Amino acid sequence: MKVPMKWLNEYTKIDLPAEQYVEKMIMSGTGVEGYDKTGDDFSGVVVGLVEKMERHPDSDHLWICQVDAGEKLQIVTGAQNVFEGAYVPVATVGAQLPGGIKIKRGKLRGVESSGMLCSGPELNVPDGLYPHCGDEGILIFAEPHTPGEDVKPIFGLGDTIVDFEILANRPDCLSVWGLARESAAALKEHFVLPEITVEENGEGTFDDYAKVDVQDSVNCPRYAARVITNVKLAPSPKWLREYLHGAGVRPINNIVDITNFIMLETGHPMHAFDLDKVKEQTIVVRRAHDGEHLTTLDGKEHVLTGDMLVIADKENATGLAGIMGGEESEITENTSRVLFECAAFNRGNNRITSRTLGIRTESSARFEKGVCPETTMEALDRACMLVNMLECGNVVPGAFDFYPNPAPVRTIHASAKRIAKLISVPVTAEEMEDILNDLYIETELDSDGDTLICTIPAYRMDIDREADLAEEVLRMYGYDHIPSTLMQGVTVMGRRSERQILLDKVKRVLVDMNMYEMYSYSFISPKWIANLGLAENDVRMNAVKIRNPLGEDTSQMRTSLVPSMLSTLAMNINRSNAQARLFETAPIFLPKTEGELPEERLSLSIGLYGENEDFYTLKQIVQQLLYAFGVNEKIEKGADCYYHPGRSAHYGKIAQLGEIHPDVMEKFDVSRRVYVAEIDLSLLNAAATEIQSVRELPRFPAVTRDIALLTDECVQVGDLMDAIRTAGGKNLEDVRLFDVYRGDRLGAGKKSVAFAMAFRANDRTLTDEEIASSMNKIQAACAKLGAQIRQ
Amino acid sequence: MQEKLQSIQARVMEQLDQAADTAALEQIRVTVLGKKGELTGILRSMGQLPPEERPVMGQKVNELRAQIEEKMAEREAVLREREKAIKLEKESIDVTMPVEDRTMGAMHPCSIVLDQLLTIFTGMGFEVVEGPEVEYDHYNFELLNLPKNHPARDAQDTFYVDDNIVLRTHTSPVQARIMTTRKPPIRIVCPGRTYRVDEADATHSPVFQQIEGLVIDENITMSDLKGTLDTFARHLYGEGITTRFRPSHFPFTEPSAEVDLTCANCKGAGCRVCKGTGWIEVLGAGMVNPKVLEMCGIDPEKYTGFAFGIGIERITMLKYSVPNMKYLWENDVRFLKQFR
Repeated sequence: MKVPMKWLNEYTKIDLPAEQYVEKMIMSGTGVEGYDKTGDDFSGVVVGLVEKMERHPDSDHLWICQVDAGEKLQIVTGAQNVFEGAYVPVATVGAQLPGGIKIKRGKLRGVESSGMLCSGPELNVPDGLYPHCGDEGILIFAEPHTPGEDVKPIFGLGDTIVDFEILANRPDCLSVWGLARESAAALKEHFVLPEITVEENGEGTFDDYAKVDVQDSVNCPRYAARVITNVKLAPSPKWLREYLHGAGVRPINNIVDITNFIMLETGHPMHAFDLDKVKEQTIVVRRAHDGEHLTTLDGKEHVLTGDMLVIADKENATGLAGIMGGEESEITENTSRVLFECAAFNRGNNRITSRTLGIRTESSARFEKGVCPETTMEALDRACMLVNMLECGNVVPGAFDFYPNPAPVRTIHASAKRIAKLISVPVTAEEMEDILNDLYIETELDSDGDTLICTIPAYRMDIDREADLAEEVLRMYGYDHIPSTLMQGVTVMGRRSERQILLDKVKRVLVDMNMYEMYSYSFISPKWIANLGLAENDVRMNAVKIRNPLGEDTSQMRTSLVPSMLSTLAMNINRSNAQARLFETAPIFLPKTEGELPEERLSLSIGLYGENEDFYTLKQIVQQLLYAFGVNEKIEKGADCYYHPGRSAHYGKIAQLGEIHPDVMEKFDVSRRVYVAEIDLSLLNAAATEIQSVRELPRFPAVTRDIALLTDECVQVGDLMDAIRTAGGKNLEDVRLFDVYRGDRLGAGKKSVAFAMAFRANDRTLTDEEIASSMNKIQAACAKLGAQIRQ
Repeated sequence: MQEKLQSIQARVMEQLDQAADTAALEQIRVTVLGKKGELTGILRSMGQLPPEERPVMGQKVNELRAQIEEKMAEREAVLREREKAIKLEKESIDVTMPVEDRTMGAMHPCSIVLDQLLTIFTGMGFEVVEGPEVEYDHYNFELLNLPKNHPARDAQDTFYVDDNIVLRTHTSPVQARIMTTRKPPIRIVCPGRTYRVDEADATHSPVFQQIEGLVIDENITMSDLKGTLDTFARHLYGEGITTRFRPSHFPFTEPSAEVDLTCANCKGAGCRVCKGTGWIEVLGAGMVNPKVLEMCGIDPEKYTGFAFGIGIERITMLKYSVPNMKYLWENDVRFLKQFR
C-alpha cells in the first residue's frame, strides 16, 4: 500500500529521514517494499509570468515571450494558448525534464531563447492531479504564483511516498490510520485521530429519501448508509488530489474521490450510488439467484450463483457486494443525490465470489482480508464530514445502520512470565503493559504482578490469545534482543531417514562411476508420455493431472522419469556437449482411486551418450549398483517398447535398460544414440542383502582349465555361463569369458566363445579325476545348448 | 708355483677393479675360481710338490682364494648398484602425460548443500522425516491454521489436483503428519520437493526444495530457535556468520520472524550481493502457533515449539554464487561438472 508521508503526518509525527523511518517500521513488523519521491523525474522548473508577447519576425507560428521567472527571460515558444499575464511552468536553462531532456540556451530562427514553457505532459504531471494538466498546450496555472517559485508543490509533487507491504494478519494496516498508529507506536509518538463531526445540513431524514433492506446478516454483518442532496460535482481540492495521487489512485471528482479517500484513510471501502438511478430508491442486500445476470461497472456481464452476495434494487442485482458496483447507478455529471454505502461483508464469501468471477478490486482486496464492522459508522461520518468540508452537497440528517450483532469486547488474560519465557527476552510485566498500551491495546497489570488484562481493539482481528500478545511485545521490544541458546531437555537421537540413507548410497555409487546428478520438474507434458508409445492400458498412461497448471507442458505428474531424461539428453546434445552421464532420483506418481493420494514410487533414471558409451557401459553401471546393494538378479533380453528391441534388457522388475528406440529418439529430438536405464529404488532396496559373514581364505590351490566352444551366433554367452556354473558344481569357483571370435574359418553365423575356469575345494587339493569329471559335465551341458568343444 | 700365485693375484685384482659389469665378474670367477679355473688347477697340481710344502702351499692358495672372493663380493656390490641405477634411469617416464580426465561425477549442487544441512541438523539431534509431495489440503493448509478461503493462502499460490488434494506448497505438511501421530519431544527436519504457481525466472521455479525443521518439547523458547539457526548458519557458511530476526507473519507460527544471515560475501560489511545491508534474507521461522498445536492434538499449555523453513535453492545459489535459478533445473553438464 502506497502512502504519502504528508498524509501520515496528519495523524502522527514522523520526524526522521525516510531511510531511518523505513528501518524502524521494518524492525517493528511493518514490511516496506520501498520509497520514492513524486516528481523526481524533473528539476529546475519554476513559475513564470508571461509579461509581453510578440510575433517572431521570421515565423508565422512562433512567439517571443518576455517572462518573469524570478529573473527576466526571453523565451521563444510555438504554443498558441499562451497570453500576456499567464502564469506558466518554465524550464530554465539547466533544467532536467522527464526522459532525460536537458534545457540549453539557444536560438530559434535567429532569436535568443533562454528556457522553455512547458505543458503538463512534458513534465509528466499525472492526469487529474492538476486542472488541465493532461492537455497538449502550455499549462496555464489556475491561480497567480510568485515568479521563480518551484512548481512541484503547486502540482502537489515532491512528497515521499512509502510503499508498505501489509501481511495477511494486519488488514487494519491497509489504511493510513492503521499505518499512522503503527508508526506512532514504533517511533513512540502520539497518534491523533481527527474529531469526526458531521453538519447535517440537508432536509428531512434518511427514510424520506431511501430504503435499505439487508437480507443476509451472515454475509453482511453491517450496512450503513447516508444520503447527500444538492450534489455539486467538481474536481477535488489540491490536497485531496495530491493524497490520492500519492497513494496511486487517480482523482476523478469530489464525490468519487471522497469514497476513495475514506477507503485509503480508514480501510473501509465505500460505494456512492446515484440515488435517482436506484429503482424506487430501495437498496436490497441479498444472495443472487442462481443464473442471475449482472453487468458490472467495467461493462462486463456475469452469470451469478446463489452463494454470491449482491446489491440489488427491488427487482435486479445491480452490483456485487464489496467488489464492484453496477453501471446503472454510477455517479455522472448529472448526479444530484447520492447514497453513500459503508458496509462490512464476510471475507470468505467475498473472496470466493471475487475468485469465481475473476474480479479483483481495491475494495474486494480489503474485504477478503477482513474489514472491521465496528468502525463502519465512523468511516461513513468521516465521508460526510468531507462533504461538508468540500461543500459539495448537503448531508441529510440521520443514517441507516444495520448492525444486528455488534462484536463483543474481547479481553485476554495473559501471563507476563510465560510471555517473557516464550520470547526469551528480559522484559518486565510493567514494560509489557506500556508496550501494549502504546499499541492501543488497553492493558492493565493485575495486582498479582503477572496477569496482563488486555482489551483488544475491534480492528485487531489478528489477536486472540497470549501468543499473539507475545509477538506484539517482542516486535516493539526488538527482535534483535533475542539471545542465542541451545535446546535443553531429553537427548534425542538425530538420524537420517531410511529413504535418505538409500538415496545417499545410490548417489555415492553412481557418482563414483562418473555420473552427474540432475533435477527435473515433477510435472511434464502429456505429450511426453504419449511419445513413449505405451499400450493404452499401461499404468503409466494414467497420470495425476493438475487442475491449474502453468501450461500444457507441465500439466501432469510424471509416471516415468524417462521423458525428462530424454529431453535433458537432447538439450545437452543440441548444445554440442560431447558426452553426458546423468542420473536423477525422484518419485513417479501413480494414481489410486479418486480422492486418494497417488502412490509415490521412488525411482532412478540413468542416461548417457558419448563416443565411448554403448549398451555395455550402461549395463556396467546398472550392474555395479545391483552389486553395491547385494542384489543378484539375472539379466534377460527385452524391455519396454520405447527401447531398441535388440539392445535392451531387464533385471526382473527392479531395472530395465537399453538403447532408446529410434522412433522415440526422433520424437524427443535426440539426434544420436542414447542409453537409458530405469531402476525402481524401493524394489532395489527391498531386495538388498547385507554381508552376513566373511569366507575363510582358501588353503588349497586352485586348478584352472580353459574351454573354447563353437556355437551358433544366437546362443547367448550368459546362458552358456549359467550352464557351466550349474554343471561345474560347488567346486567350480570362478568362470570368466576371455575371448569371442568370429571368422571365415568358423563359417557364417558361428562364433567361438572361450572361458577360463577355476576349480577349488575348501578341504583338499582336487584330483585330476575330479576335474575331468567336472569338465565332462560342463561339456555335456554346453552341448545341450548346441555348443561344441572346439579342438 | 709361488711366483705363479703372485702373478695371479696381481692380475686378478686388477681385472676385478676393471670389471665393467657383473657378467665380467662372473667371467673372472669362472676362469680363476671355477672347476677348471687357475687356482683349482694349482691345487690339483700340488701333488707334484714335496709333501712338506703341500700344506703351506695349500694354505696360500686358499688365502688367495678368500682374498679374491672378498674383493669380488665388494666389486659385485658396487656393480649391482650401478646397474640398478642404470635400469631405473632407463625406466623413467613422462609423468605429465595426461590420464583419463575425471572418472568421478558429482551430486547436484542442491543435493550437496542438502547433505551438509542433514549432517548439521542430525548432529543437533534432528531426525529426518519425509512425506508425500502430492498432499491433502488438510495437512498442507488446514492443520497449519490456513483454513479454506483464507487470504494467507495467496502467499502460496497452489497447484490443485482436486478440491482436497494439492501439490504441497511447503514441507510443513510432513510436520503436521508427525504432530498428529507422535508425542513430544519432537525434533525433526523435513526435506523435499515443493511446488508453487510461479513462472520460472532467475529467482523462481515452480518446483523447488525446502527443508523445514520442527521442535516441540517443554520449555522450548525463541532463543532456542535463534541458537539453532545460528549454529546452522555458522556450520554452513563459516565462523562469524550469525542471524538477524525481523518480525513477520506466518499463520502457523506466532511470533514469526524473517531471518537474515550475515552476508557471507562481505561478512556483514555491505557489498553488491547484500545490496549494502550486510544481511541476506534466507528463511522464515517462528514459535509454533498454539492453534496449530491444538489442532494437531498437542497441549499448548504444556508444550511449546519452534519451526523454520529454508529454501535449498536459495542457499545453494548463495553458497556457490549461482546467478540464475534456471541453471539448477536445466542440467547442462557444463554446469553440473563444476561440482564435486
